[in-house]
Formats: sequence, C-alpha cells, structure tokens
Amino acid sequence: MSGRTALSLPDAEATQALGRGLARVLRAGDLVVLTGALGAGKTTLTQGIGAGLRVRGRVSSPTFIIARVHPSEVGGPDLVHVDAYRLGSLDEVDALDLDTSLEDSVTVVEWGAGLVEPLAQDRLEVELVRPRGGEGHQGREAHLRGVGARWAQVELTGLLQ
Amino acid sequence: MSEPPAPTVPASRGEPHAEASTAALPGPLTPGPAGPLVLGIETSCDETGIAVVRGLDLLADVTASSMDDHARFGGIVPEVASRAHLEAFGPTLEAALERSGVRLEDLDAVAVASGPGLVGSLTVGIAAAKALALALGLGLYGVNHVIGHVAVDALVHGEFPEEFIALVVSGGHSSLLLVRDIATDVVELGQTLDDAAGEAFDKVGRLLGLPYPGGPHVDRLAQRGNAEAIAFPRALSRGKDLARHRYDFSFSGLKTAVARVVEGFEDAGVEVPAADVAASFSEAVADVLVTKTLAACGEHGVTTVVIGGGFSANSRLRELAAERFAAAGVELRLPPIRYCTDNGAMIAALGSAVVSAGATPSELDITIDSGMPLTQILAAS
Repeated sequence: MSGRTALSLPDAEATQALGRGLARVLRAGDLVVLTGALGAGKTTLTQGIGAGLRVRGRVSSPTFIIARVHPSEVGGPDLVHVDAYRLGSLDEVDALDLDTSLEDSVTVVEWGAGLVEPLAQDRLEVELVRPRGGEGHQGREAHLRGVGARWAQVELTGLLQ
Repeated sequence: MSEPPAPTVPASRGEPHAEASTAALPGPLTPGPAGPLVLGIETSCDETGIAVVRGLDLLADVTASSMDDHARFGGIVPEVASRAHLEAFGPTLEAALERSGVRLEDLDAVAVASGPGLVGSLTVGIAAAKALALALGLGLYGVNHVIGHVAVDALVHGEFPEEFIALVVSGGHSSLLLVRDIATDVVELGQTLDDAAGEAFDKVGRLLGLPYPGGPHVDRLAQRGNAEAIAFPRALSRGKDLARHRYDFSFSGLKTAVARVVEGFEDAGVEVPAADVAASFSEAVADVLVTKTLAACGEHGVTTVVIGGGFSANSRLRELAAERFAAAGVELRLPPIRYCTDNGAMIAALGSAVVSAGATPSELDITIDSGMPLTQILAAS
C-alpha cells in the first residue's frame, strides 16, 4: 500500500490537469474512487481523465443516468463514469447492464467511498477538498492513496507535471 | 376494470425464422387524413407513460409514477424504477386503451422512448414495445426521449413552424436545439457541460435541507425570497467563455457558489436566509437559460421558441421567459405543466410525426441507448 499524496489544485484547470495526469497511469480494470463535498470538483477531475484517455462523448454529471460509458477513441480502455450516490453497492453497477465490462474499462465512481471497498482489493482513492463557505480562495486539494498491489509501485507525486 | 380484456395477440405463429421475420417487417405507412393512430410508450426514468394519438389529437395519456418509492431513498433507485415499470405497464396500457376507446388491433404504429435514460427503465418499455409490434404486425419506432419533450407541444399548440428553437430542461438534460423538422432535422446548438438545470435544483434543495426531489421545494421557497439578495454567477456568459460556449450551460459552479454561501452563513452562526438563497439561485438559472435561448433566436433569425422538459415547470423560468420573449417579439410555446414532465403523449407525438414523415420503422433488434445523441431522432440498429 502506498502512502498518501497531497496535491494542491489552484483552479479548475489544475483539477483537469490532474485528471489527464491520472489517465497516463490508469489501465484497463482500474477503479478510482472519488470523494468530496458537492462542488469539490469530482466531475471536473473525471473530465480530465476522459480527455487524457481520449474517450468519446462529453463527460458531465452522471447523476441522472447513474452511470455513463465513454468508449475509447484510440483503442484504449473505455471510461465508465458512475455516480454511486443512490446505489446500495457496486454490485448494482454490474446490474446496470452497461455495454462494457469493468475489466476492460477504467471505472471512476463518484460518492463510492463506503460502497466499493469490500469488492475492490486494488483501487485508487482520490479525495477532493474545497474551501468552506466564506474562505477567500477557490483552490482545491487532492489527496491520493493507492490501495493494493496494483498501486504499490505507482508514483503519484508527479501527476501534475 | 371488472375482468381482464380478452387477449388481442394473434394465435401462435410458431417460431419465426430470422429471415422470415425480417422479410415480414412493415414498411413506411401512408396515414389517412386524420393522421396515424400511434401508441406511445415512455419508461426512460421513473414514470410509466402510455398514450394514444391520432395525428396531433391526443386520445388518452396515462401515467404511473414510482416517485413515492424513490422519495424514501432520497433519489431514483434504478432497480426500484425498473420493477415499478414492470408492475405498472399492464394496467397503464389497459387504462390508455380504455380511455381512448382504441383497440390494439386498430393501431397503426408503436412508438417507444429508446433513449436517453436509465438502462433498466428503458429496457422495460422497449421490450414491451417490441412484443406489441411483433404480435400486432406493426411498425416499431424507437424515438428520442428528449426530442419527445419538444414534440409534445404540437398536441397542445398545433403544427410547428418551419424552423424554431427548442430549450429542453429537466433533471437530466439542459439542451438548446435548432429544429428544422421535428421528425428529421434537429441540430444541437448547446447543452450543459456538467449538471442539468433540474439536477442543480435538486442538489441545492439538498444543501438547503429540503426533501427530495428538491426542485419544486426550491421553486416554492424562491417565490418568497429576494432574487437580488445574492449575486450568484452566470456561467459561460462573458468574454472567452461565452465565445467558446455560446449556447452551452454550466450549473456546477453555481451549485458550488450556493454551497459556499450557505456554509458562510452557518460558519458565522447566522440563520441561512433560505428563501433569498433559493430566489437568487433560481434567478441565475432562469436568466442564463432565457438569455442564451434569445441569443440563439437572434443568430438564426427564428421567432418561435418551444420550451419542454420537467424543469420548464419552474415558475421563475416561465415568468422570465414570458416577459423577455414578449419584449423581443418571439413567440413562446410552453406546454401546460402536465405535458412538461415525462409522459406517453410526448413519445406518441414524436412517433406520429416520424410516421407522418414516412420514416422506415426501426428494426426489431434495436437496443436501448442510454446516451442517445440529441441529433438522433429515430433509433437505428
């Protein structure tokens, strides 16, 4: 298990850049669990991952349809973007009968903390923290933690470069 | 109903061969002067809607909703929704036929929402539609749910003009369309880059501690508040952002701004002025929607706008659109609220338009498309 990596994200462009950086290390079968309050930048980060993976379709909030599949345009892994806010467990993601298998895709689950841990031994946890209320700045912080053998050797500190 | 209706499915034809069933598929229809008699089936989210139209005449429109079940969970639960569709389908179909006085064998075509929407929910409707079309020997038309939100207005306000702008706003969509022909030619001018308008309302409802679904609650609260109390941002409305995203929307930053304002009051130990927050937020959403729609009218030289989708029930949007469109000399076609939410009439209306345009029916092997593009009106295999 790798330690925790903290990255500072001054604006939405930086959050997208982190997503593109993550796309460089993500492979088919990987699971990313995103947490953070409303407005912390979970969908923005996923947009960056989608751009980096070069998948089809606009990455927007999946809240309405629960999960959206973005097929790869370059023969790489598809992106499965899930909003787990209303799901009881990740088993239900399979039950959604998406036209792709999670083994062949990069799966990004928003609001997945507390749901997916029993199912996934290997996962990348990303927590996005935004300033509260009246605090003056707009910046976010990202806390990354790789869990399991898959992430043991992966360097996460240079993702913004 | 005292007893179940006699089965109207033709007696068993045996196991059809793939080639035989393909060869037997019905072709385009030539409808009579009153227009085609079309059954419309809508199951893209949590309402089971079935309607019958003849041309632009709505003969029956019956809706069953599983919203009460979802309210307990604080959101739509896909599995609950698809089970509810299964249970509601038979009784809803019977009621629609009874109210319209139409028998299944009188129908000319079956139209069904094939996307976008929830996978499990759409699947129930399309499976039922295929079974009906096959059993009755009718053409199956898998149509776009979002375009249906526009098409339904023809049942209320009559034939569409040659060209118009449509704004479709709901919990899942916020799209600006240029419609040259509702059955064949729809151009997507813009859409939301992140949250849909209705979704932002539901999330702000959650921030203000209101029950699910938050949209109507925020709307009611807003009517008591001061819309100028807080200056919330109008996204993609200025400079470089506007140039790059002329007709796109973004409500995620606005939602975050509301969250931070609410937290600011909480952190200061001050009671959150919820009505003012709701009113100022509603104003920001309605302002951007109306401003961009009017800009699209100007650029395309169009003088008619149709607004559809569940969020068009929002009182501030209706008010502001009526006011500004009148001032700009643009005709506003806004269906009554009962036709703005999901229903079978919208699918029957679009089915009727597509049949009348002479479209070839969809193949029986079409599948649902949860992310169906808005430029695609009719499903293809």
